[in-house]
Amino acid sequence: MNIQDEEITQTVGNIYADNAKMSIRSADVFYGDKQAIHNVSLDLAKNQVTALIGPSGCGKSTFLRCLNRMNDTIDICRVTGQLMLDGEDIYAKELDPVLLRARVGMVFQKPNPFPKSIYDNVAYGARIHGLTNNKAELDEVVETSLQKAGLFDEVKDRLKEPGTGLSGGQQQRLCIARTIAVSPEVILMDEPASALDPIATAIIEELIDELKEKYTIAIVTHSMQQAARVSQHTAYFHLGKLVEMGKTEDIFTRPSHKLTENYITGRFG
Amino acid sequence: MTESNTTDNNLTNKNSVSGFTTKLYLDKHISRRFNEELEQIRTLVMQMGELVEQQVNDGLNAVLNADEKLAKKVIQRDQEVNTMELEIDEYCTQILARRQPAASDLRLIVSVVKSITDLERMGDEAAKLGRNAIKLARGSFAEEEGSRPLVELKHLGHHVNKTLNQALIAYAQMDVAAALEIIKNDDIIDEEFDNISRLLVTKMMENPREIKNSLRVTWCARALERIGDHTTNLCEYIVYLVEGKDVRHSSIEQIKAAIKE
Repeated sequence: MNIQDEEITQTVGNIYADNAKMSIRSADVFYGDKQAIHNVSLDLAKNQVTALIGPSGCGKSTFLRCLNRMNDTIDICRVTGQLMLDGEDIYAKELDPVLLRARVGMVFQKPNPFPKSIYDNVAYGARIHGLTNNKAELDEVVETSLQKAGLFDEVKDRLKEPGTGLSGGQQQRLCIARTIAVSPEVILMDEPASALDPIATAIIEELIDELKEKYTIAIVTHSMQQAARVSQHTAYFHLGKLVEMGKTEDIFTRPSHKLTENYITGRFG
Repeated sequence: MTESNTTDNNLTNKNSVSGFTTKLYLDKHISRRFNEELEQIRTLVMQMGELVEQQVNDGLNAVLNADEKLAKKVIQRDQEVNTMELEIDEYCTQILARRQPAASDLRLIVSVVKSITDLERMGDEAAKLGRNAIKLARGSFAEEEGSRPLVELKHLGHHVNKTLNQALIAYAQMDVAAALEIIKNDDIIDEEFDNISRLLVTKMMENPREIKNSLRVTWCARALERIGDHTTNLCEYIVYLVEGKDVRHSSIEQIKAAIKE
């Protein structure tokens, strides 16, 4: 049998988590008439890192963006199925997507600090959501967020300087600090280290490992080694379908599906 | 003995497009260079296997035929086995560092690193046969043509040799069914070893002057029995490689159950 022709009928492995922070069931995503995600079901385990991997165009980023309704901004995009955060439907009509995005934060591939000072970048979310009562409280939020993002010591003497003046790795940690500042429950990361050098990448990965103590994390990455290093669960997407999901330790030593095997070992398929 | 000679000479060539390559999809990487590197590892391991098989064969013949010259050759060639172990180890280290293999590729490298340790130990046991052969050739045992212990040793030796040959073919073909059969039959080798031991103990009690030589034959039998154990290990790596299940220290029933899972 030609392995490339093998049909993906059902996800293999285990999609369930004992302690699920988010549960997605039978999610379909359409861009106009074109279906980008086909019947994906999975759990994001609380306080753990779930890596979404797969070739370009497999739908992993589209899927990630459904988790905090980033796709709402695309007119032709339509999401169906059940997407739950702590048992609550995140696509419910009465739910304000802005509030959802405070609970489910996102970090992007390219560091995208606002053209503002380091301080204001971090304070921004807390200000618009009205999370603090006075300047002292806001200072506190900015400092602890920068500390959690492992950036405070490097920038404490220049909080008033523009965030865009930092190095790429520092900018990415600034964006993480900005995300943390609004006390999210889940952090989505879309290739957070792909524009960074190995040292900055290692720092971000170390940070992810620490952040999972407080937050539930889903990360899309093109680097298989990165997925293997930072995640506890790995989901492999192919052509808009979830092929396999399981413990990272199993996926990288003995994947069950041939397509997963082909992808992580760099074979044709 | 000539029987297995004909098989082992073909081990590397016969399987040039073997189960090893096809079952493990070694030729399907996007990187052609990586395909070549893994193929090179396969070739080296099969060559080492062939060499070790030859060594065991020669070691056994040296003992049985009191052939001091052959024995010396075996002892000398053990160095070649050691060199191959180092070479393959280095090759695997390079692949780990440069390719960061995953899944079946990772299992391949891990099992090869372990397999060559077992092959190298088999080489050491073959050299032991050689050293004992030299001492036995100078003793009176060899003159006792057709003595019971030597006949038994010959049986055990042929059995061990045949099993090793089968294991190497199973390795070349990544044949799990054949590997399981060999693991299952390791008991027979152990039984044969026990029989020889009993026989030699009796001989020693009957004739204390023969103790020295009887012990040497015991050590030869022991070496062969150890080679049998290492052969079983090779077969366990085949199961690990193909099925992804670590079946060391398991009974044959447990292994079969693990594979079915």
